Amino acid sequence: MTDVIVTRDLTKTYGSVRALDGLSLTIPKGGVYGVLGPNGAGKSTLFRILLGLIKPTSGSASVMGGHVGDVSAGRRMGSMIETPRYPPYMTARQVLEWLSLAHGLKPDAARVTGWLDRVGLAEAADRRVRGFSVGMLQRLGVAAALITGPELIILDEPTSGMDPPGIQEMRALIRSLADTDGITVVLASHQLLEVQRVCDRVAIMNKGKLVREGLVRDLTASGERLRLSLTPMAPAMALLGDKGSLEGNAVLAAIPRAEGPALLRALIEKGIDIDEARWVGADLESVFMTETGTVQTPEAIHAR
Amino acid sequence: MLADAIRAEGYRLVRNRTTMFWGVIFIPLVVAIGGALFNWFNKVQGDRAMAAAGVEIPAGMGRESLNFADGVIAASALGANGVVLVFSLIVAAALYAGDYRWETWRLISARNSRLNLILGKVASMGLVVLAGLILFQIAMVLFGLSQAVVTQRPLGFETDAGRMGEAAGLAAVAWLRIMQYAMLSLLAAVVTRSLLAALFIPFAVGFAQSLLQSLGLGFLGWEAMDWQAILLMPGVAFDTFKLAISPEGNPLAAAMAQAGGPTPPVPPREEVIKAATSMAVWTVVPFVATIAWFQRQDLSKE
Repeated sequence: MTDVIVTRDLTKTYGSVRALDGLSLTIPKGGVYGVLGPNGAGKSTLFRILLGLIKPTSGSASVMGGHVGDVSAGRRMGSMIETPRYPPYMTARQVLEWLSLAHGLKPDAARVTGWLDRVGLAEAADRRVRGFSVGMLQRLGVAAALITGPELIILDEPTSGMDPPGIQEMRALIRSLADTDGITVVLASHQLLEVQRVCDRVAIMNKGKLVREGLVRDLTASGERLRLSLTPMAPAMALLGDKGSLEGNAVLAAIPRAEGPALLRALIEKGIDIDEARWVGADLESVFMTETGTVQTPEAIHAR
Repeated sequence: MLADAIRAEGYRLVRNRTTMFWGVIFIPLVVAIGGALFNWFNKVQGDRAMAAAGVEIPAGMGRESLNFADGVIAASALGANGVVLVFSLIVAAALYAGDYRWETWRLISARNSRLNLILGKVASMGLVVLAGLILFQIAMVLFGLSQAVVTQRPLGFETDAGRMGEAAGLAAVAWLRIMQYAMLSLLAAVVTRSLLAALFIPFAVGFAQSLLQSLGLGFLGWEAMDWQAILLMPGVAFDTFKLAISPEGNPLAAAMAQAGGPTPPVPPREEVIKAATSMAVWTVVPFVATIAWFQRQDLSKE
């Protein structure tokens, strides 16, 4: 089996809302795969369908070679969807023991302690989860996803609520799961820098559809741009047309290097003051912004 | 995999100490400790009253032995009384609605079939109810023991296989009666996803049925043992079944018979069949409806 997740024309509607709209996606085995998208893109809906929590309206999805909802496939994967919650009267250790039993495993004290240690919860192992912070719940959620030895784990916003050192630890853990343990990791995150650092491949979703997919290095290498800090910006955007986009208070021009000098002369002739001009590589954030249509338009700039 | 579901549910339920205390231990504790205090208080009050009246109890009077077996049978007959039913619903509500409340379905629903997950909960509830009935039995025995100690009466255990069989039968019917309420709690929990509904809907249904039973069915033009009446009121079916198993199924009538009153009549076979049907319907129908609903349910907040 080379693909762990395959969806074909997957659609989910809630009344008039199409949370997923004909999504066809293939996630290969191995490595870390990121699923990106703005709020409402359908990421969580996709994960919930893959876990069998909800049924699709149409289309098909398979996980680990079996249909979604197939228990034998379900037992080969772990997951953490949104901020996890647990019975508040249980300790972290008891949560993992309970999930081991649910999976048909005898609770193994060494295994439980090992995973709690690996996610940084060794000292809180015997504390009741009602006193846990959001970050601690996230860590326990990752341990809960891994306690049964899955081949695939699905993580929805694994670093949500964590402080910077915690984010760094989680990033290292996720990478080690793929590199050392051979687990395929599928994660959704809004932390685009983290995704760029951790993931091998990404799929960018918007409004329930897949808009871009590929290796992270290919996506980020495909767009060298001329970054211009200038005022005013509206005439510059009008001059560039669809080759221009905004990044903060700068304009990005998607043009070949050879056209750079001519562009700068044209901008100066129009009376635009240029503070800085330099060539930059594309990062995942700019790819994401472009693909999801969240770049600002010239009309929005006029309004400034 | 059903065994996995049962083990996991049992593990989790046992660690919910608040629920286990109120649902399983509280009533037996009250019966044992409260019963001892009640017996002691009665003795003290009785002695004071005798002393105030200047009455002396002849030697040997009131010192006949207490039969433990009576306590065991009484416990079996009373095992599904209203108070036990209400407190058992605490366990049922926590067990059946807990995964909705804590959004923990996402942790377990991919690992087992939905049918096994529900069966695991039902089996765990069955074991907890059994444990509760055993504790209740022990509490009633302790009540009898405290009575013997306080009144300085010897204890005995006089019975035969027939009476013990009746006790076992009464206990089994009590278990089923509690499980009937638990099935209503299960259906309410799954349909509404609410712990409060799982707790109060069975209570409300039971209260309405008790009210109907006490009002009598004459205003509907029904007789007590008509099919429609007994299907509507499983409490009547339960009482009929208990009487069929043992005259002690109706403790009040049994006490009157012991005091020389009439022996409660054994229900005819036709009424026993109606009672069994009613009990089966009220156990199976909510369970089947739950499974049908749960199989199609979206287990998410959306």
